[in-house]
Amino acid sequence: MTYQSVSIRKGRGGWGEGLTLTPTDEKNIVLSVTSGGIHPVAAKIAELSGAEAVDGFTNHIADDKVMCAVINCGGTARIGVYPRKRIPTVDVYPGEPGGPLAQFITEDIFVSAVTPNEVSVAGEVVTQAQPLSSQVDAADADRAKYEAQKAQAKEAAKDAGGFTKLVVSFGEAIGYFINTLLSSGRQAMKLVLNTIIPFMAYVSLLIGIVTYTKISEWIANGVTPLVSNPFGLILLGVITAIPVLSPILGPGAAIAQVVGVLMGQQIGAGALPVQYALPTLFAINGQVGCDFVPVGLSLGEAEPETVSVGVPAVLFSRLITSPIAVLLAYLASFAI
Amino acid sequence: MDVITWFAERFIGLFKAAAESFTGLVTGILPLLIVLLTAMYAITTWIGEERVTRAVQWAGKYQITRYTIMPIIAVIMLTNPMCYSFGRFLPEKQKPAFYDSAVSFVHPVTAFFPHANAGEIFVWTGVSAGVLAINPGAYARLAALYFIVGIVVILIRGVVTEFITKLLIKRGGHQERFDEFDAAYAAGQIQGAKS
Repeated sequence: MTYQSVSIRKGRGGWGEGLTLTPTDEKNIVLSVTSGGIHPVAAKIAELSGAEAVDGFTNHIADDKVMCAVINCGGTARIGVYPRKRIPTVDVYPGEPGGPLAQFITEDIFVSAVTPNEVSVAGEVVTQAQPLSSQVDAADADRAKYEAQKAQAKEAAKDAGGFTKLVVSFGEAIGYFINTLLSSGRQAMKLVLNTIIPFMAYVSLLIGIVTYTKISEWIANGVTPLVSNPFGLILLGVITAIPVLSPILGPGAAIAQVVGVLMGQQIGAGALPVQYALPTLFAINGQVGCDFVPVGLSLGEAEPETVSVGVPAVLFSRLITSPIAVLLAYLASFAI
Repeated sequence: MDVITWFAERFIGLFKAAAESFTGLVTGILPLLIVLLTAMYAITTWIGEERVTRAVQWAGKYQITRYTIMPIIAVIMLTNPMCYSFGRFLPEKQKPAFYDSAVSFVHPVTAFFPHANAGEIFVWTGVSAGVLAINPGAYARLAALYFIVGIVVILIRGVVTEFITKLLIKRGGHQERFDEFDAAYAAGQIQGAKS
């Protein structure tokens, strides 16, 4: 088997400096995690490089065999899962570092908004990522050094004894307390800036257009009959959980979030009774996580067989539990 | 001229309406969210993953805690998407059900712990903002009920999905393979236990 290096550039509106990938005998799988099927981008990478494209939605592949993962995540969850494992990741949507795993999404292993046009055979320049093992070794060495320093400092504190020891350990505790809070604050602000405010901006624009052009009234007139009676809500719960639809509706909870904001406006305007808020929350979200089953299972280190059984199990189970959830919420909503 | 004026007014009006709703979202949601996020990140750091891991392993033993306490702790402490990694403490046949249970909790949890799924809070925040506007008294009750009904729903999801998984294992002829997995699990071989 001959392999060839491919270079992948970012597409329009994309992020990252681009990747150059070379398959080896151990790492020769292009994993397509795009809600079922092999994405054209994955197919192109495989074709040019000589690697094999595999549908990650129905098959489970050991991480160390994966040359790169092709994902379609505009949200915040899947986008970071493969970078976290240091697997080169190609996003076909214009994703950027965001969400809880933003720190792992770095330019050397992530590129986004990629279409088949951005995939080409690499020229002379072939750069290979540093092997993971050496990176891990480096990190371990750093940690060992740090531990040694810490032990030394502790030793020194012990020698001091008595009062000094008390002061030192008190100072240490306060320092730890303050530093944790500070870094938590930083983490919170980063998340707000990277993830939450951008979402607010686009939702506001959408809401502005929808309310100003009176489309919201039109949507309200359309959806209200469905959402303003328990049977309609249960029906909505069934629709969102249909096994073919649910993986499509899932990514980033984008659709559920926009519908949630619109429903909230209807409730706020008095067009829908407050009692329906609770069942609505479950009805618009019957698909939660259905796009993420193989990735979620592999995070739980499931065997390939478990993934192939687990995906249909979750999808079919939803068809039963989604309407039950809406019904339960409807009954509970009498307490509001 | 009238046409131009009409068009200009509509054009600006559209963005003014959008800006107004942006102000509403930023002033209404952000301040509370930022301090809550800070507090929750700090608390999860202080408690530490090790202690959580022990609690989770205990909770995984019994069906009723496996699909209530286990996913709740996982989601609050590890947040979406790392919470699913706790599935590694379970036998293979229970992993899909645990995933289903945990992923179904990542929205109800945001009613009280927005840090657990801050990237997707608008399912809850969107709907609840309407309730807050028209009936502030009902907001807290809605939050509590969303959380509680969420727990009941994840229990049902876990039990149903575990049952369907078992069915699919039998029908698909995977029984022997999964018996092997169970034997390995019983022998104390937890996937990915790196110690």
